Amino acid sequence: MEGDAPWYEAAFVVGVTNALNVAADGLAAALPPLDDLAAGPEAAAVFADVRAFYGASDVPEPLRVIARDPAYLADVWGAVKRAFADRRLTRRHKEALAFAVSLTTRSAFGLRFHLGELRRLGVSERGVMEVVGVAQMFSSYTKIADSLQLQSDMADIAPVDTSGVPEAGDG
Amino acid sequence: MPTVRLRDASEYPEPARRLFELSKAWFGYDFKAPPAMSRVMAWDPHFGGPHGRAMKRAMAPGEFTRGEKEMVAAVVSGANACTY
Repeated sequence: MEGDAPWYEAAFVVGVTNALNVAADGLAAALPPLDDLAAGPEAAAVFADVRAFYGASDVPEPLRVIARDPAYLADVWGAVKRAFADRRLTRRHKEALAFAVSLTTRSAFGLRFHLGELRRLGVSERGVMEVVGVAQMFSSYTKIADSLQLQSDMADIAPVDTSGVPEAGDG
Repeated sequence: MPTVRLRDASEYPEPARRLFELSKAWFGYDFKAPPAMSRVMAWDPHFGGPHGRAMKRAMAPGEFTRGEKEMVAAVVSGANACTY
């Protein structure tokens, strides 16, 4: 995992994971998810792409919640699909990141959804427990560090990536 | 500024100092002084021992590589708003 590119990818996964989680956990009760008919043809076309990406008949709740504005839905989905695509990081690894973030932020939707994706992508219960273990242990370390206000002694040891900004679509 | 005085490695008993050497190997980096968290964990070996073993077990390569797990740890730390 050399260079900055994997870290940009990971950050984008974390960002859109939280974006989906807040819409699902915070909004879904107040703004019920729309089905294809209620969402209209423009949103239904996005839903079809979502189903193909996840190989599922259902569309995740947060996307059906925001389908009230189909153009917004299309842009959010474009970002989500790009973030989770196989690139420098595999889709499987990205789902592990999303699962860990959802666990850490206590998102009921995110936990359920990304656990399902991990399993669909072939991760066993042992593999799931590996991610749970890392999330749990580093939730402990971070709170110990915060409680004692420790300063990082590793922040400056990573090599600097001097490469430029890649062309859109690269890696 | 830490809320406790982080002791110098020389202030720890010999078994803890041996663990500091192992932590260099774990991180693959020759720290001038043991990392702050290593020194905190060595304060109470009856806590730090099992906690450290659980961490090493969780971070060991399995279905996910050590590198993949380090990135999971980084995003969990970020989600916890921790800069350490």
